[in-house]
Amino acid sequence: MDTREQTISLTEIFLTFARIGLTGFGGGMAIVALVERICVRQKGWITSEQFMHGLAFGQILGPFSLNVCTFTGHHLRGIRGGIVAAIGFILPSFLLVSLLSWLYFNYNELPQLQAALRGTNPVVIGLIVVVAIDMGRKQIRGANSALLALAAFGATVFLKLNAAWVLLAAALWSLVASIWRRRYS
Amino acid sequence: MVSLLALAWIYFRIGLIFVGGGYVLIPLLNHIMVQQYKWLTLREFLDGLALSQLTPGPLAMLATFTGYRAGGFPGGLVATAFIFLPCVTLMLIVSRNYERLKKIDLINSTLEGVLPAIVGLVAAAAWNLGASSLSGVRELVIMAIGFAVFKWTKISPMIVIIGAGLVGLLIN
Repeated sequence: MDTREQTISLTEIFLTFARIGLTGFGGGMAIVALVERICVRQKGWITSEQFMHGLAFGQILGPFSLNVCTFTGHHLRGIRGGIVAAIGFILPSFLLVSLLSWLYFNYNELPQLQAALRGTNPVVIGLIVVVAIDMGRKQIRGANSALLALAAFGATVFLKLNAAWVLLAAALWSLVASIWRRRYS
Repeated sequence: MVSLLALAWIYFRIGLIFVGGGYVLIPLLNHIMVQQYKWLTLREFLDGLALSQLTPGPLAMLATFTGYRAGGFPGGLVATAFIFLPCVTLMLIVSRNYERLKKIDLINSTLEGVLPAIVGLVAAAAWNLGASSLSGVRELVIMAIGFAVFKWTKISPMIVIIGAGLVGLLIN
């Protein structure tokens, strides 16, 4: 095992992911972009490649915003770290939604939060774009990888394919290419 | 009120299907909660959907709302815990085997090969979110400012997002 295991406490993992959960507006990829900024960039807890692998697994296994938190937590402190990260991430939203549900079912009122979202949504898009550019700079080298990125983008945006299927297709493509290179090089 | 055990079982099963793809969650919850068990009216369900979009965290927090309706605060807690149980368990299993799997050459090169596709998916998410929520010049300006701040400063993204929420409240 490596040295990170001693240095990062479960409390710090919990607090970090709780803060992410509290500010994770915009759902799915917006949250992933936030986790990337904090865990990869700010804290250097996990490398960009490992994080993207976690995202790939997470994307295929359903709710990927939660999954990348579990993955990162596990990377830091094993099973306990993963569980602490997942709980830390979900807890703030859980408490908030419980409170709002209580308000709603007792008083039939929803707070007027739409206005706040008009500010956070565009900023979150900016965040995702920055993360996409940073990831692209590292990962896209040469025509082949650029084409694969474009194909994944197009399949999701224009063909409206489910991201999990797009990734599985990319994995299959990449597997076949690896076998091919092995055999003929 | 429904028994918590029954709730746990229902949400656990939803969680299992959820693992296959998050996108089926909304129609699935609608089918089970509104049509099958009649815990909520369609109107309440849609309000709950809006609520889960307004609050931070994944859209699956809709489970908390519907669980709350079915069994109060304990219901919401059980629903939330059990809908996420399958994916967290599976993700832990994957994480546990990740380092070992990475040592296998073929798997490692396949994983490396997938990375450009992830870049495409992240960009696509920005595109899709932009298409649905960038409606005017004001939003575009806020996005540009956000982009610049995230790209060239080291200000914590959480502070930027909270600030943006306050700006949204002030100008609307």
